[in-house]
Amino acid sequence: MNRGELPSREDVLRLLAGLDGRTRDDVEERIESMELAWLVHQVEQHYGVRVELDEEHFGRMMTVTGAVEVIREVIGAAR
Amino acid sequence: MTTDMTKIELGAVVGPDWVDELLLRGPDDDICLDVDGPVTRAALRAMVAQRQERLAAAGLGAGGSLALRLPPSLAYVANLLAGWRLGAQVVLLDHRLTQFEVDAALDRLAVQVVVSAGRVRSGALRAFADVEDVVTARAGRPAATPHAVIQLSSGSTGPSKVIGRTAADLIAELDRYTRMDGVPLPGERIIVLASMVHVLGLVGALLYGLHAGVRVQPPQRLTGDSVLEAVAADPSPATVLGVPFHIGLLASVVDPPQLPQLKRMTTGGELQPPAVVTAFTEKYGVPLGNMWGMTEVGVIATDLFGEHRPSLRPAFGLAVVERGGELLVSRPESPYVGLSDPDRWADGWLHTRDAGTVDPHTGLVTIKGRLDSQISIGGLKVDLTEVEETLGGLPGVEAAVVVHDSMVTAYVQLAEPATVAQVEAGLAERLAAYKRPRRVHALAAMPRTTTGKLVRDRSVLRDASREER
Repeated sequence: MNRGELPSREDVLRLLAGLDGRTRDDVEERIESMELAWLVHQVEQHYGVRVELDEEHFGRMMTVTGAVEVIREVIGAAR
Repeated sequence: MTTDMTKIELGAVVGPDWVDELLLRGPDDDICLDVDGPVTRAALRAMVAQRQERLAAAGLGAGGSLALRLPPSLAYVANLLAGWRLGAQVVLLDHRLTQFEVDAALDRLAVQVVVSAGRVRSGALRAFADVEDVVTARAGRPAATPHAVIQLSSGSTGPSKVIGRTAADLIAELDRYTRMDGVPLPGERIIVLASMVHVLGLVGALLYGLHAGVRVQPPQRLTGDSVLEAVAADPSPATVLGVPFHIGLLASVVDPPQLPQLKRMTTGGELQPPAVVTAFTEKYGVPLGNMWGMTEVGVIATDLFGEHRPSLRPAFGLAVVERGGELLVSRPESPYVGLSDPDRWADGWLHTRDAGTVDPHTGLVTIKGRLDSQISIGGLKVDLTEVEETLGGLPGVEAAVVVHDSMVTAYVQLAEPATVAQVEAGLAERLAAYKRPRRVHALAAMPRTTTGKLVRDRSVLRDASREER
């Protein structure tokens, strides 16, 4: 994970796994609300950006695939 | 602003007086809430009066029944206090419940007026929402009991338990908070991360804050940076009140700023691993307090200086005893509405369903875990039996077992042509997202004991699922 780069799917899985010490393989594709709050917090910490989500973003972040897309968009726009 | 609660006549607590006297009283320009900007007591009183008119126009009156299905928001606070000022009973429904769950609760409780969220004007992940509150009258009945607040717990047998608390009981809890060493003091702030729809955020932050003259301030968002920004927003001392998940948020903030006004963090809920506690206290250098409570009682015991961890001291006026390995707490009347079960409450003692011990010399209480199938997901209580019964009631499900195996995990035996996707869709209609299994495994045949009972051993279920892949 490099602060200057956009996060990959692997990076997002690693951040989600950090919530409760799971392995990356044990992270489910569906993301629930507490995991989402954790993920947004971790992205802010690791990438130094403020992640402001509108409802459209939020609706797309219910899966890991969607979350990776949105996070890359939001970080890209913030830079 | 604090009133001597021993002087409040019990007869006065059913009308609007207790709300005015214990919660809303204070100088007009006193800032009691800070939600995207300061809210003075005069402004809050005006909001409450306006909501009261709307609720009365919808037919709500003294002894009536009102349900709030709102996320934590100013609209929630104003409608709650307005309902109480009208002398109505207020049912609190978590806004994350599904329509199916809400309809079941409203029908069961025969609520007369419902306030729900219309247009949500704030972004996602906001700690306090900016919502339009929509009032709807229903063909319900007046309150059947004298309780001021009704909450539903995730039920271990059949439907949810209905938990009622009178105004006098809420006042007694406020009194416990007021007498505690280590709670925020008048002129200070509570940065509230716990939901105000549930007992910790409701009484520990909102009601105590209004009563004691402690400014209640949710952060803009529930992220570590946002919580620290809320602390830094004012020089007055600040206590952060949340659930264990929030300790992890703050403990993982990279290079937090110096915050001399941060006084303490207090959480309710399950105990945290020592490593997380150490990470937090080393990073911030302030006490990490711990509280034990339940919806039926509110706060029961505390360790607000983190000096007795993992033990806690019972709060003023409450007795805690251990019987047969279970902790019981004194409660003069049963909190359960329409339920008479001596295994839950009898002779002034409430069964907490928490295993634990009470030190005979110090009186300190140590919690050892749950005795039933209740677990905590981010501070929200989920009873696995409720999840399992809902799952078992879906079409095409022949047998189901739900366990907590680092996450809520379901194993099902399906009748053709049912699929896991259909089962998940059925659950999504009937159960709030936080209650739903993260994983649903279909097995050709559920593991059973020699007498035909479903096996609940997690490793056996895991192996059965692995073998079928």
